[in-house]
Amino acid sequence: MIKESYRQKEDSELVKSSLEGDKQAFGEIVDRYQKMVARTVKSMLGDTVFSEDIGQEVFIKLFYSLSEFRGEAKLSTYIQKIAVNLTLNEIKRRKRFFSMFSQKGNSEMYEFEVADHDTEEKKEASEVVSKALMSMDPKFRIVVTMRMLQGYSTKETAEMLNIPLGTVLSRLSRAQEQLKAILKKL
Amino acid sequence: MKVSDLKELLIRSLDKESDPEDACRKIEEAGITYNFRYGFRDKVLDKIYSAGTTVIREVEFVRNLNSVFYRIALTGAAAIVVLLISIYLIQGSLSLNSFLGLGDSYDESILCLLTGN
Repeated sequence: MIKESYRQKEDSELVKSSLEGDKQAFGEIVDRYQKMVARTVKSMLGDTVFSEDIGQEVFIKLFYSLSEFRGEAKLSTYIQKIAVNLTLNEIKRRKRFFSMFSQKGNSEMYEFEVADHDTEEKKEASEVVSKALMSMDPKFRIVVTMRMLQGYSTKETAEMLNIPLGTVLSRLSRAQEQLKAILKKL
Repeated sequence: MKVSDLKELLIRSLDKESDPEDACRKIEEAGITYNFRYGFRDKVLDKIYSAGTTVIREVEFVRNLNSVFYRIALTGAAAIVVLLISIYLIQGSLSLNSFLGLGDSYDESILCLLTGN
């Protein structure tokens, strides 16, 4: 019943209540946006325990920066930016780590752990998408994730990633070529 | 949805003319969903609200350190500039000797000062 009342609240009300120390209000924010964060983090890093940690870190960071949230942008955009930054930082960290300790290529940096699906068909579809995304260069992968899985327009993607619109367009075009080649092999 | 159809959909979703929201919805319907494991919300809330979590303290510590660092760095830089100006005004130059406060002393006189001979 209490949970239901939080579901009807606007984001701004939940932010205000969270800042006043209302745990349930912040819990509702987590409930509301965890799927969106999961799409970004898991599509970029693979479906592993580490992605869960990064997902948690996104909301922890959000909690500690809530006082800086002015409400000028949507809360979802604010959370998405945190998720994108943390994910890209993690990719950089992994790249540094693997370049120091391994001679293996980037493709071995990730583990595949496709979540349970209700049908074989959906499981197979999920595997195809995960493998295709993981085979892509991270700078193309993030653009594809924003567009294909989050449904952002080119302009929104540019704002989210803080890169020019033209760069997004060229990356999308190159990503499409890369994706075609990858999917042909799968 | 057949895998071949899905592949086609994925490629088409990156077309400039395609509607990203529509493509995203169709991809989700095909079973491409991402979720965190059961209990994700509780784990996040536990980490934030339970006392003594080192992770949160580290995050808080780093944030505080970052904000304090710039102030310290600015104050330090200002102090160095003031020090350089005062050295220049007093000693008339910015040579190594001036920095070390040796003025025009020669090595022999320093040795005399140190040894007392």
